Amino acid sequence: MPELENPFQETLLSRHRAEPCTVVIFGATGDLTHRKLIPAIYNIAACGDLPPQFKVVGFARRDKTDEGFRTELEEGNRKNSRQGHNDELWGSFAQCIHYHRSEFEDLEGYKALGCLLDQFDVERGAPANRLFYLAAAPEAFKPILEMIRAAGLNKGVGDKWARVVCEKPFGKDLATARGLNAVVADTFAEKDTYRIDHYLGKETAQNIMVLRFANSIFEPNWNSRYIDHVQITCAENLGMEGGRGGYYDTAGALRDMVQNHLFQLLTLVAMEPPTDLSADSVRDEKVKVIRALRPLVGPEAVGKNVIRAQYTAGSVDGVSRVGYRQEDRVNPESKTEPFVALRLMIDTWRWQGVPFYIRVGKQLPKKATEISVHFKKPPQVPFATSTMLRNSENTLVIRIQPDEGIALRILCKQPGQAQNVQQVKMDFRYSSSFGKASPEAYERLLLDAMAGDATLFARRDEVENAWKFIDEIEHAWHKSDNPPTMHEYPAGSWGPKEADDLLRADGREWRLL
Amino acid sequence: MSASTLNDSDLGRLGLETPISRIDRALKQLWEGDEAKTRASLINLAIYTEDSSLLASDNDLLDHVAAEHACRALLILALPESQPPRARAWIQALCRPYQGKQAVCSEQISFVLEGGDAAQVQNIVFAHLDSDLPLVVWWQADLTQHFEERFYSRIDTLIIDSSRWSDPAKQFDALREAMSAETADFDVRDLAWTRSHFMRTALASCFQDAAALQKLAALKTIRITHLKGRRTTALLLAVWINQRLKTSLQLELIEKDSGPALQSLVLEGDGVRGEVRRDCDSSFINVCTSCGQHEHKDLLPADVDSDAELVSEQLSRFHGSTLYSSMLPFVRSMLK
Repeated sequence: MPELENPFQETLLSRHRAEPCTVVIFGATGDLTHRKLIPAIYNIAACGDLPPQFKVVGFARRDKTDEGFRTELEEGNRKNSRQGHNDELWGSFAQCIHYHRSEFEDLEGYKALGCLLDQFDVERGAPANRLFYLAAAPEAFKPILEMIRAAGLNKGVGDKWARVVCEKPFGKDLATARGLNAVVADTFAEKDTYRIDHYLGKETAQNIMVLRFANSIFEPNWNSRYIDHVQITCAENLGMEGGRGGYYDTAGALRDMVQNHLFQLLTLVAMEPPTDLSADSVRDEKVKVIRALRPLVGPEAVGKNVIRAQYTAGSVDGVSRVGYRQEDRVNPESKTEPFVALRLMIDTWRWQGVPFYIRVGKQLPKKATEISVHFKKPPQVPFATSTMLRNSENTLVIRIQPDEGIALRILCKQPGQAQNVQQVKMDFRYSSSFGKASPEAYERLLLDAMAGDATLFARRDEVENAWKFIDEIEHAWHKSDNPPTMHEYPAGSWGPKEADDLLRADGREWRLL
Repeated sequence: MSASTLNDSDLGRLGLETPISRIDRALKQLWEGDEAKTRASLINLAIYTEDSSLLASDNDLLDHVAAEHACRALLILALPESQPPRARAWIQALCRPYQGKQAVCSEQISFVLEGGDAAQVQNIVFAHLDSDLPLVVWWQADLTQHFEERFYSRIDTLIIDSSRWSDPAKQFDALREAMSAETADFDVRDLAWTRSHFMRTALASCFQDAAALQKLAALKTIRITHLKGRRTTALLLAVWINQRLKTSLQLELIEKDSGPALQSLVLEGDGVRGEVRRDCDSSFINVCTSCGQHEHKDLLPADVDSDAELVSEQLSRFHGSTLYSSMLPFVRSMLK
């Protein structure tokens, strides 16, 4: 029988609505599930956007009942839900939560999961879509995917789909990413594979494309003729609290942040206009940017363009902080970088000669992520020679977090008889102009995955090309005979002096956040 | 209605009374020297009423709406029959806290226009807009000669509440005439229609059930329970259902003296039943679909109910829709 369209769905929504669906979360007893995923799904329900007849199944090794699992999640939801916690709504929502105990390598456990999913379909009266969310440790991805395939769960029932969402980190270098991609590809088609990068779920990250392509005043100036350089900063004022040193020391800032989050921001800033807003059109343009990054090959090129550093003891917000190597679960001899600054060149017509400076670090003075586009100065400014105008180029700042918004720095005449020129800032703040809080990144991304919109997810070639670029730097750091120096900076400062020198050598300086 | 019906305490809540010619200067002074306040505006939002008893509630409504939608707010109370002619204005800042220290504020200008005509209303509105921002007007009065072409041709979004109209048939005719005017290019948002949004969403959820979906053709009746005074909302909902099903189900309307605007919706036919029910004081709606032995229940969030929340909801939806206008002829025929 041909599937009928629900005539009442049409006309109601401005975005594609997801059809009935079961989400299976692998690693369901972990922090991500409690802190982000379940609160995100609960908030989707609170907004009335959850597909009807929705189910979520937690899949993990520990022994639990449905009720026990729901009680644990309720506690997490009370703490983490964006819109607060409503007992009545939770009571109804919790009925869609189930727990399935199994080892990740136990095929029988997956077969039993299949029976549970089939049983849900029977209760629904029709098959539903299935979304497998890999929130387990990355080393578990391979056995989970292999078992999903072996149990035949990688194919949708009837005309329904089965998809997989992979949490970061997606590999730790090109070889592991390719290996993982191969395993994923053996199990799911690329169109059904959603590699999550929660930065792309942030409202301001999504707004970059709107800002660029919906406003005719920016795009004509968005090139090497008018833009001097671009800075992307991701600063954190925390260190390795909460035991995160164990994982972080195996990764470092370059792998943990630059390869994924900051490259995603870079591609949104640097990409050409897509032919349309379909997932592949957008991702085609993004991957072109990654491919066009001028490779940094060998210790000399890396040393000249990339600064890595570890923090030493210092203080942030007046509170003393230990040095990186003294942090909990960090190797005292660690060669991992909690700070990295890069000068990148994109070899395209649009960006010829325009450096993109990226910096990311822990134990910096404040928490902030922003992109600043620094326009070239006019050929001649006949008005004043004040030192106040030393850094007076027009700057467009896109604040990703916190205090999401956009600011434009321009020059104005100071009131008075003299022709004195002063910098002023035109500032747009999301929270001032739009009273409603933006949905959490995971809410948007989960709904997109359920509705089949992969635009905000990384594609295989994007991930692999990013790793290819990053691997050259890692190789120069860890496998060459004369590796570039690991610099130091006191906790609470804006990074090592050498990072400042990186820009100073080009006659520029980091924007003061 | 005469000026004497104006309540002094209501007028006192409108802020600082200011001569109309000095409004711009007074607004400037309002902001000068107060660095703790940030002025923000994304739209011009005007409320036009001819009922002085609504002044206080409209004032509260603007305060609520501005907290979510930074705007230049205009509140216009026109009393065309009042004599002698007189125009008064008040200004105030509508502020909400931001990051603990600062306040984000919208401006509100309120006018009481006694004995004025359509031209006076237009001049007042158009002289006090924040330039380059869209104009949203909630026209609370009947669509009389004051709602004329030179006025509505400048509006981007017209908000109405057809359930408030004393003569809906006549008003729907006036609305359709305005919408079909060559110069009219405004979106219409009818709060009576918005009130049914949660019911429509829930109904869609009801028939997402595969078994029930197969039995859509068996549906025969619509039963809607609504609050007294919300008949238009119920009619719009019924028209929408029939449009979606491309049929004409038998309609039964049940009126209640208290409770939410829409209280229940039941679609029934041979072997299939879909029910959406909202109990008094509940922020949720119960959805139940039964089809033979198969039954499915769900709990969904109910939409907002107050006028302020409905307006705020409408301002969040920037996309227009031709759906509403396509339903008007059918609603009009049911009102005969």
